[in-house]
Formats: sequence, structure tokens, C-alpha cells
Amino acid sequence: MRIAQGGGAQALEHIVPHVPFGTTMLFAAILAAMIMSLALEEKLHAKKSLIVGLFAMVSLLLGAILLPMPFGPYSIGGHDIAMPVYIPAVDWGVITIILGASLFVDVTSRSGLFTWIAIRLTKASSGDPVRLLWAYGVMTVVFSAVLNNVTAMIIVGSLTAVSLDRLGRREMLLGFLLTEGLLTNIGGLLTLISSVPNIIVGTAADISFVSFFMRSSPFVLVATVITIVMGMRLFDIRGLPDAEARAAAVELVSGFDENDGIESPGFFWFAAAMLILFIVAIATTSVLPYVSDLGMGFVAIGFALIMLVRYKHDVDQFYRTVDWDLLGFFGALFVVINVMEHAQVLALIGIGLERMIALGPMLGTGTVMVATSAFSAVTDNIPLAAMLSKIIAGIPMADGLVRPPTDPLWWAVIFGANLGGNLTPIGSASTLVAVTIIHRQGLRLSFMGFVKKAAPFALVQIAIAVVYVLWIL
Amino acid sequence: MTKVDQFASVFRAASKTPFHYDPVQIGSVLVVTDQPEVEAGDFAGRVRSFLSVLERGENIRWNTVHGGQFSTVPELLELIERDRPGLICTFRHLHSDSWQWPYTLGEYVDVLTQATSTPVLVLPHPKRPSERAITDTDMVVGMTDHMVGDDALVNWAARFTADDGRLVLANVEDVLAFERFMEVVGKIPSISTDDVREQIEGRLLRDAKDYMGSCVRALAKAGLPLNVEEIVTQGHHLSEYRRIVDERDADLLVMNTKDDDQLAMHGLAYPLAVEVRSIPLLLL
Repeated sequence: MRIAQGGGAQALEHIVPHVPFGTTMLFAAILAAMIMSLALEEKLHAKKSLIVGLFAMVSLLLGAILLPMPFGPYSIGGHDIAMPVYIPAVDWGVITIILGASLFVDVTSRSGLFTWIAIRLTKASSGDPVRLLWAYGVMTVVFSAVLNNVTAMIIVGSLTAVSLDRLGRREMLLGFLLTEGLLTNIGGLLTLISSVPNIIVGTAADISFVSFFMRSSPFVLVATVITIVMGMRLFDIRGLPDAEARAAAVELVSGFDENDGIESPGFFWFAAAMLILFIVAIATTSVLPYVSDLGMGFVAIGFALIMLVRYKHDVDQFYRTVDWDLLGFFGALFVVINVMEHAQVLALIGIGLERMIALGPMLGTGTVMVATSAFSAVTDNIPLAAMLSKIIAGIPMADGLVRPPTDPLWWAVIFGANLGGNLTPIGSASTLVAVTIIHRQGLRLSFMGFVKKAAPFALVQIAIAVVYVLWIL
Repeated sequence: MTKVDQFASVFRAASKTPFHYDPVQIGSVLVVTDQPEVEAGDFAGRVRSFLSVLERGENIRWNTVHGGQFSTVPELLELIERDRPGLICTFRHLHSDSWQWPYTLGEYVDVLTQATSTPVLVLPHPKRPSERAITDTDMVVGMTDHMVGDDALVNWAARFTADDGRLVLANVEDVLAFERFMEVVGKIPSISTDDVREQIEGRLLRDAKDYMGSCVRALAKAGLPLNVEEIVTQGHHLSEYRRIVDERDADLLVMNTKDDDQLAMHGLAYPLAVEVRSIPLLLL
């Protein structure tokens, strides 16, 4: 968003006033406290939106007192428009993509489409644990890519618990759920809209949907295969021993009725067509005339509205299911980061990042990726991605040109922010969902228990990603 | 995590309990009466004629115990243990005049239904003038308040249905228990009473319908020469059961009597067995 401040017609992002070092350090401490609080979210028993909202409020107040904040009015298209400083601070493109896509997915899931696909795959596996792991693993990756990784984990995790119960294979449940949880973050790398860090960094780097997919898909394919094979080995998931066991398993999975969740066949097929159209529209947004000016957020909201027509009298039930905590969190986060930018905190972190980058195109980029992974393992990867994308955008290239979408540094942040989430249960929202389902199923898994089981997967994935970004991409 | 619940529910609902057809092999039938030997033979003959369907695909061994062979419950149990029948046929109030008062089954039948694993066919008392002829099993009603997964009930009911006869599968959900829960739900502000009523009612009946659908398919696949009628409803158990039996002019009512949690007969089976006296009852 390029908005110039009224009167002086000064663009927000170009204001680089002098800020005393002590003031910068004060705001850096506030940022560190916010990140710590987010890491301790579970202990604080407070929602993300409230935590970051409070920090946004304090940051804004202190910013108004201590910093030369660009209060309005703002000049948009030659018109002076008065609005609070925290409104243009928010990246509304990101917010609208998340809001529209989540509404679209919610309404589409009511058609029974996703459960139909999930159950058909279960039946296709014939109830054999190894084939089931492949089916659910691939489904997790695809659902994570097309929907989002949290929804994918919820759908596949719920089905896994029910189907393994039916097959009498509960001893494999932990291995299945952990492997699926780890695969959500692999699937989250497949498209631009698969995870929030992708949306944030992709928007900042101006990466198109198709370009993102073309660059990330080879890695996703390899990492998926390796993760599933590791899951089979480490969790001792084996195929059925004989024909009798296979026949019994086929009989058990045949009891699933994929049509049970379909309220209306007409709406089912409409939802299937709309899902394909949605993917095509999102993928071609950057080349569609007029639509490219409106952005992916418009496409996502537009598709959500079309789907809502089916429930025109009950749309409020879908408004209630929107993750307002997540949206509030993003809104407040953008405000905090905007204030940090004015307080020169991002510039300060950028100096540290520049030192890493100065290690060279290989070592520097690799260090950025590993550091991003490490940070996103212990804290929320969304503020990290938002902060790093803003900082990297501000670091000039050696030739002084704008950093292109193909620059490995962007991809180091994207891969690091997604894959780091696999190191700990709090590293990403989808692994947290996996752990929640594990606990709801009465299985014991501590924080360190998760780390011990997940670390081999995460380290292999990060190692492959480093090789991929530095030598192949 | 409400979405986890939401999807878990969707998948649990999609996970159906299919019916497995398992042909019932009876082997031998023991007719138990308190009558003298000759009358007992006549009674056994009438029973054999009534149950002619059992001869379908099976050579049944028929034995009779007459009144002179036992005078106590242990003696009868010993006779049964010796014969090891696949089915016991008898009537209420053996060695008793209490058959005139429709308040109990009599001590012998009470014990027989619970002390042995053998199904007991309870026929109308020979001294009680029957309102209807007990001649065949053209109309068999298998009835319960929870049919899903009750393969045994359906298999037995199918076994007793005469060729080209009608097998009525009836699942009657207890409306009183349902209303009791709805009354409680109606007092919880965070739960939408109307939504809950509509959804629970729908789901409750749908599961039973799905199971019966699978019964119909499996029985047809097995090539049994019978027609199946499905009844899934809510109602006051006893009156609804009686209505279904009366409206269809049923020849035989099949129901469960065993309860893993108690020694006495399963809750609803006892009052039904006591009150539905005009037609034969197969107590599993």
C-alpha cells in the first residue's frame, strides 16, 4: 500500500527520522517481550489477538509520545483522507486473503467435498496401514496446500483417529498423527496461499502464485516422500501380513460411507467446481486484467461470497466460525511492526541480518534459513516472517536494484519459517493442532517427547531445504 | 478446537455399522410343556407345524419334555443341559395356574430365558383361548430400541420368516428418555434447544435407517425369499411395540432379553413378554 502523508505528500515507508538509540532499545524490548509472550501463550492462557493487541496499544501510545509518527491525513489518489495511523499500518491484502480463503473453505467443507475425498482415499487404501499412511500423507500435503495447514490437520487428523479405531490399529495413531502434523508444514510450502508466512513474504517479494508453485513443488515432492518413509521406519508402520488380514481390513473400511456428509448432491458438485475455479483464479490473479489490480484478497472474498449465497439466510453461522483471534492477531501485529519500523528497531535487526548476509551468498543465505528455522521453532513464525520480510525489503542489493522475487534470501525465510515449525509443538499452528488431537485421543506426548520424535524429521527437512535453496533453486 | 469436533463427528457419522448375514443353524428344538405325554405330543406337533420354516435347508431334530418329566426348575435345567437344544419352545406359567393373570411369565420361563444361552420361543398358553390362529410365520417382527449392530436379532428374525413372508425390522427410540434430555437441554442457555432436538432426532433415526438399509441389502444378496419392511420411529416403547404388532397382525415377535449388566431380563423385554400374550415371542 503506497499512501502519502497529507500536506508534505511524504510516503510512509520513506520516513527515516532520527530516533535516539535509547528509544529504539525501549521499543526493541517491547518487541522482545511480545515475542516471549507469544511463545508462552499457553502458559498465559491468553489468546494471541489479546496479547499482541495490548502490545500494539502500548507501542502506539509510546510511539505517539516518543516517535515522529506519520499521523494523517493521508493523500490517496490526490485526495486527503483522515484515518487513524494504525489503519494504513495494516496489510489489508494479507487480511483479506486469510478472511476470504477461510470463509470459502468453511462453506465448501459443508458440501461434504473434503470428507468425501478423505473417505474415498481411505477406501482406496484397503485399510492397509502403509497404504493408509501414504494416502493420508499425500492428502495432508495437498489439503495443506489448497486449503491451509490448520484445516488440513483437522480434517486428516480427525479421520485418522476414526479410521485407525475402526481398523483396530490404535497403536499406530501417534505415529500417523505426528507424521501428518509434520507434513502440514511441508504442504504449507507448496503454494503462495498455503501458509501465512508464504502470503506475507510472497506479497512483500512480489512472488506470483505460479512462480511460487513452480519453485517450491520439487522440494515438497521430495520432502513428502522422505517424511513418509521416515514415518514408516521410525514409527514401525508395517503392511498387513496376509490375505486374511487384508480381507478383514477391506471389509472394515468398506463400512465408511463417503456420501453420509453430502447434504445436497447439487451443492457438492457446485463446491467441487468452485474449488477448482478458486485455485485457477488465485493462480492467475497476477495476469488477469483488472483482477490483478484488485489482488488475491478480492478473489478470495469474492469466492467466499458466491459460496455463501447457498446459505443466504444463515450466513451468520459462518461469520461465527471465522478465526477472529487470528485476524485480530494479524491486524495488531502489523501495527506493532509498523511502530517498530518507525522506532528503527527493524533497522537495528536489519544490521544483524546484513552481517549474516555478508557471510556470502551461500553461507549467508544458509545461515539466514537456519536462524529463521530456529526462531520459528520457539516462537510464532508469523511475526518473524512479517518482520524479516520488511527488513529484507529494506536491505539494498549490491547493485542497488530492488531484490527480485527469485532472490534466495526470500526463499530462505519462507523455507525456514515453515520448516522450523516442525521442531517443537508450538512452532506452528498445525503441529499444535496435531498435538491437541493426540491429547484428545488419550495419548501421552510431552513437549520434549514431541521434540525427540520430530527432531530427526525436521533436521532432515531443513538440511534438504538448505541444499535446495542454495544449489538447486 | 470446535472444528476438530466438527470433523471428528462427520467421520464418526460416516463410519457405518454394516449388517453381516450369518445363517442361524438351529440343529434341534426342545418343546417343553407341563402337559401329560399325549397332550404334549399334540402340542409339539402344532409347534412343529407352526415352525415349518425351520426345516428350510436344515434337518431339525425335535424332542419333547412333558409335565411328568420335571417338577422343579433344576430338574428342567438338567433336562435342557442333557438335550443341548438350539431352540426351546414353551409357554408361560408351567406347572402353575397363574396363566389366568397376565402379570408374570412364571418361574420356569423367567429362569430359562436368563440361565441358558438358548433362545426361548414363548407360545400362548394352551388353556387360554387364542384370539388368532398360530399356524405360520408369514409376518415376523424383529423389534428393539437400538438395532444398530444387533446382527443376531436380524439373523434370527430372518431365520423364522416363512418363504415369501414379511420380515418387519422395527427400531423404536424411547420418546420419554429423549424428552427428559431435551428438558435438561432446554435449561442450558448456551445450547440451542431447537437445533439440538432436530439434529439428535435426525441422527438417532438415521443411524438405525442406515443399518436397516444394510440389512436389506445383505439379506437380498443372500437370496432369502422374504420381503423386509423397515420401521424407525420414536414412541412410548410398550404402546408403540403393541401398535406395530397389532397393525401388522404379526405371527411372531422377536426381541432381545439378555442384558450384560443384570441377571434379570432386559428392561423392556419383560413387560412386553408379559403383556403381548396373543402371539408367540422369540426371546433371544
